[in-house]
Amino acid sequence: MKDRGQELVSWIGATLAIALLVHFATLYAIPRRIMARTLRGMGAPNTMHFGSRPTAASRGVMRPSPDMLYAACPFDLPAKPLRVTASVPHSTYWSISAFDDATNNFFVRNDRQVTGNSVELLVMRHGQPLPPLDKVTDRSIVFAPSSRGLILMRTVIDNEKNLPVLEAVVRQARCESVADKR
Amino acid sequence: MKLATKIAAVLIIGVALGLAATWFTVVRIVIPVGLRDGPWRTNLMVGNSGADLYTRARVAVHGLLALSRSETIYFTAAHDNDGEPLDAGCVYQVSGRDPDARWWSITAYGPDDFLIPNSAWRYSVSKTTVARTQDGSFSIQVGGRGSGSNWIPLAPERFSLTLRLYNPSELVALDPIDTVLPAIRKMGCP
Repeated sequence: MKDRGQELVSWIGATLAIALLVHFATLYAIPRRIMARTLRGMGAPNTMHFGSRPTAASRGVMRPSPDMLYAACPFDLPAKPLRVTASVPHSTYWSISAFDDATNNFFVRNDRQVTGNSVELLVMRHGQPLPPLDKVTDRSIVFAPSSRGLILMRTVIDNEKNLPVLEAVVRQARCESVADKR
Repeated sequence: MKLATKIAAVLIIGVALGLAATWFTVVRIVIPVGLRDGPWRTNLMVGNSGADLYTRARVAVHGLLALSRSETIYFTAAHDNDGEPLDAGCVYQVSGRDPDARWWSITAYGPDDFLIPNSAWRYSVSKTTVARTQDGSFSIQVGGRGSGSNWIPLAPERFSLTLRLYNPSELVALDPIDTVLPAIRKMGCP
C-alpha cells in the first residue's frame, strides 16, 4: 500500500515537472514566435514599409493606435549594417524605435531629441566594422542585440488637416543595407 | 496499467497542464496583472529587456512593439471605477483632466485586441481632438448613440480601453500609480 502511494506521488511529481517545463518553454517561445511571424508578415527585410492609418480592418499587430502613422523596417543583419534615414516632423510627436527578436525595445528617440529636421540611424551588430560615414546632422549608432528585429517609426496625427503633410514626411523614410548603397 | 501507458498519460497530462497554464496566464489572463491606478492597470516593465517571461509573453500577445516606460506608459482598463467589467451594451463616461504627458489618447479595443468596427470610423479620442469645458476638464462618451469629437462607439461585444501617455512627465514616469487618470463611470445600459 505504501509502495503504491509512493509510486503515485512520483507519477504526479513527473506530471507537474513536465507541466512546468512546457509552461516555461512556451512562455519563452511566444514572444520570439510572434515577433518572427510579424517580421515575415511585414515584407522584405532591410526595406522600409509604410502602413496606412490603422482601422478596424488592420490585423497586422494587436492594439494598433488609430492616431498614428507607422513606418517599419524589419531588419536582418547577417553581415552588413543597416542605415535608416527619416525626416522628422517637429510639429507633432514622432519617434524611431528598435526592437530585437524577443520584442525588447532596445532603442528609442523622439523628435524632441533630434536637433535637425532629419535623422540617421546606423544599426549594426557588435564586431561588425564601421562603414564609411557621410557627414550628417544627426546620427545614432545602435548595436542590435539580435541579428533580426524591427525599426519602427511612429508619427502622431495631431490634426486630421495635417494628415497629407505628415504622410508625405513619413514616406521620406528609407532603410537599406549599407553595402547595398555603396 | 502498463509502464508505457503510464508514461504516455504523464506526458499528455503534463503537456496539457503546461499549455493550459500558459493560456490562462498569458492569453486569457484570468487574474488581472500590473500596477493599479483606479480602473487602469499598467506594467512598468513593458518593452524592457529586464521584463519577466510573463510580461514579455503578454505584451507579445496583447500589444506587440510597445515602447518602454521612459517614452510611453500604457494603461489598460477592463473594468469601470466600481470594479464592474466593461460591457459594450452599456454607456460609459470617461471624464477628467489632461494627464501630465506631452500627448495622450484613449482607444477602445474589442476582445480580439483589435479596433472595434463602427460606421463612424471612430476608435479613439486624444489630447488634440478632445473637446474640453471651460475649466479644462473633458467628458468622453464611450458606447451608445453619440456624435461629436468626444464619442467612441462600440460594437456589441466585450471591450477594453487603452490610455497611452506619450512622453509622460518625469513625475508620472516615476510614479504612474499616483497619477490622476480619467474616471470611467457607467451611465446606464439601454
